[in-house]
Amino acid sequence: MRGDALLTARGIARRYGSFEALAPVDLAISRGERIALIGPNGAGKTTLLSILAGVGVASAGSIEWAGGTALAVGWVPQRPALYPRLTARENLRLFAGLEGTADPRAVADGLIERADLGKVADRPASALSTGTLQRLNLAIALAGQPVLLLLDEPTGTLSPDQRHRLWNWITEMVADGDMALVFSTQSIDEASRSADRIVTLVGGQLRMDGTLDDLIRAAGTDPSGPAAGETAFMALVGDDQ
Amino acid sequence: MLRAGRLLFIKDLRVLGRSRGLLAILIGYPIVIAVLLAIALSGGDAKPSVAFVNLDAQSGRTVQVGDERLSVDDYANRLGEVVNLVRVDAQQATEALGDGKVSAVLTIPVDFVSDLQTGIRSPVITLQTNPRSPIEAQAIERRLEAMVFRLNQALAGAYVGQVLNLVDLIKNGGNVALFGQTGTLAGLKSSQQAIRDIQRALRAAGKPEEAAKAASLLDFITGVGENLDLAKPAAKAIASPIRLDVKAGAPGREPLSALGIAGALVVGLGLVSVLLSAALLSAEREDGVLSRLGRGLVSPGSIIAQKAVVSAAAALVVGMVLLGIVAVTTSVTVGRWGIWVIALLVAGLAFGAFGLLIGALARETRTALLAGLMISLPLAVVALIPGSDVAYWASAVAGFGPAARVFQQVLVDPEVTTSLWSGIGLLALIAIAYGVIARFVLARRMHT
Repeated sequence: MRGDALLTARGIARRYGSFEALAPVDLAISRGERIALIGPNGAGKTTLLSILAGVGVASAGSIEWAGGTALAVGWVPQRPALYPRLTARENLRLFAGLEGTADPRAVADGLIERADLGKVADRPASALSTGTLQRLNLAIALAGQPVLLLLDEPTGTLSPDQRHRLWNWITEMVADGDMALVFSTQSIDEASRSADRIVTLVGGQLRMDGTLDDLIRAAGTDPSGPAAGETAFMALVGDDQ
Repeated sequence: MLRAGRLLFIKDLRVLGRSRGLLAILIGYPIVIAVLLAIALSGGDAKPSVAFVNLDAQSGRTVQVGDERLSVDDYANRLGEVVNLVRVDAQQATEALGDGKVSAVLTIPVDFVSDLQTGIRSPVITLQTNPRSPIEAQAIERRLEAMVFRLNQALAGAYVGQVLNLVDLIKNGGNVALFGQTGTLAGLKSSQQAIRDIQRALRAAGKPEEAAKAASLLDFITGVGENLDLAKPAAKAIASPIRLDVKAGAPGREPLSALGIAGALVVGLGLVSVLLSAALLSAEREDGVLSRLGRGLVSPGSIIAQKAVVSAAAALVVGMVLLGIVAVTTSVTVGRWGIWVIALLVAGLAFGAFGLLIGALARETRTALLAGLMISLPLAVVALIPGSDVAYWASAVAGFGPAARVFQQVLVDPEVTTSLWSGIGLLALIAIAYGVIARFVLARRMHT
């Protein structure tokens, strides 16, 4: 799945006073790659994602984009970031306009179709169900036609059924083109199903960067046992879980 | 960034339009408070209050001029149609004018009734106005001049009628009841006839030379009669039985009406702008949108500028509504709309920038609204304390003091003075200062 290098983060760290939320982390992302940031609460997943998105400020380190110029990033915060009193269509048009697209109406209409929001497009966002709202939240992130999509625990508030459908849709969205996907999750199943690379963070430290097999090897657990991934993840996280 | 600001501006208007409850609280509540305050401070009179001082001891006497009957009380009642007359003595009137409780003092002179009765000289009513409220003084002056003119017309007609009656009496003779005098007059015609009778008697008595001497007297009477005919049109030229003398009084406080309206504007605009901008900015944070916007879609400065413009626009609308209510329901002359637009917009920017700082600091919209109300309301009330520099500078913290002074100046001063521009400039500085601080706080919120 890996294509050309997209960006390289070197020594990215974040401190809040004496508290180290994220120890220096190196991370390279390639075009078309799907990376899962996995770790328990307070592991530094959101901090790393928000720094990559340009929302958070790093205390140290640098991000280098291939070609030297920052490219469009789609940012999906954990909680839907949109205007509840505007309709789904108005939200999409507004953010497409803010992203500087030439024809916000056309972009919004296209996203409504791709996200299957046609039936609810003219309802206020506040009236949408949790799953639909998260789909809209994601669609808004795509309004700027990003090359890197960053999702902070996108299924954290969803039921298993809603998770399944949302991931089907995300997979469909990123299947076209070479958009890279980085998402955070606390579920090893979700990470192993939807990512081709798993980055494990624990207590602000990067513990492991590789595949599920690499994670199991690093944990030293039985790869053939039931829920091998879950067991390995628990072992790696240890007392921080 | 201009495009982004425009998009967010339209979004804010759309969101506000759909938030009826919030809109009612943000705009309806301050307007209701402001109107109540204006009524309480200005006394709710649609007519300006004028102190009425009667120095004529014969005020109960009625003057009969032709068909017109007039006493001081009648006169006061007629003036009361255009102004709210407050009957006081001279001392009380001076104090009331100085305290701004009345807008002018109208003094009826000592010999008002007898001067009217005799018609020998025009009684002079004195109008003393408050120089601190020249616009209102001009309005009162115009109202009283119009009323005096109408009374003059009626009285002048009666006087002319009386003068013409006198001319007829002089020519034809009869009973006299004029300008307070009564009696019987012979008249020129009967006098002429009497002289001719005397001449005939003298000739019959053989004294033709004596009779001839009376011929010059007959010529004189004929000449007087002809000249009296010419006097008739001249009598009609009598125009002003009463004159109105307008004098500027000693400087006192601004009138309560201006204070009340300026206070209503400060409270109304202040609350609308502070609460609206605080709510709009904190809502961006509450909706979680700041993190999206903070990715470089919109700069913190653009967000602050855009919200300040929404706030200033709201201040302009609310201010114009309040001034419209004032223009329709009170005696205060609201004009110079161009200056009002500038003053309302700049005040709205200052209040809005202060509200934006509150909105940037607050984590939730409810907190921002509560904090905005708790900080703004006392400052707005402090701004209404007249003549206190301490109150002025305390309330200047959020622009309330300077705004109150600017609004009062626009209400009472017919000239656009340097002082007015200084006040507007100070409001602009306050807007910039709070805008810059709010921008830095917002930037920290957007990039945590």
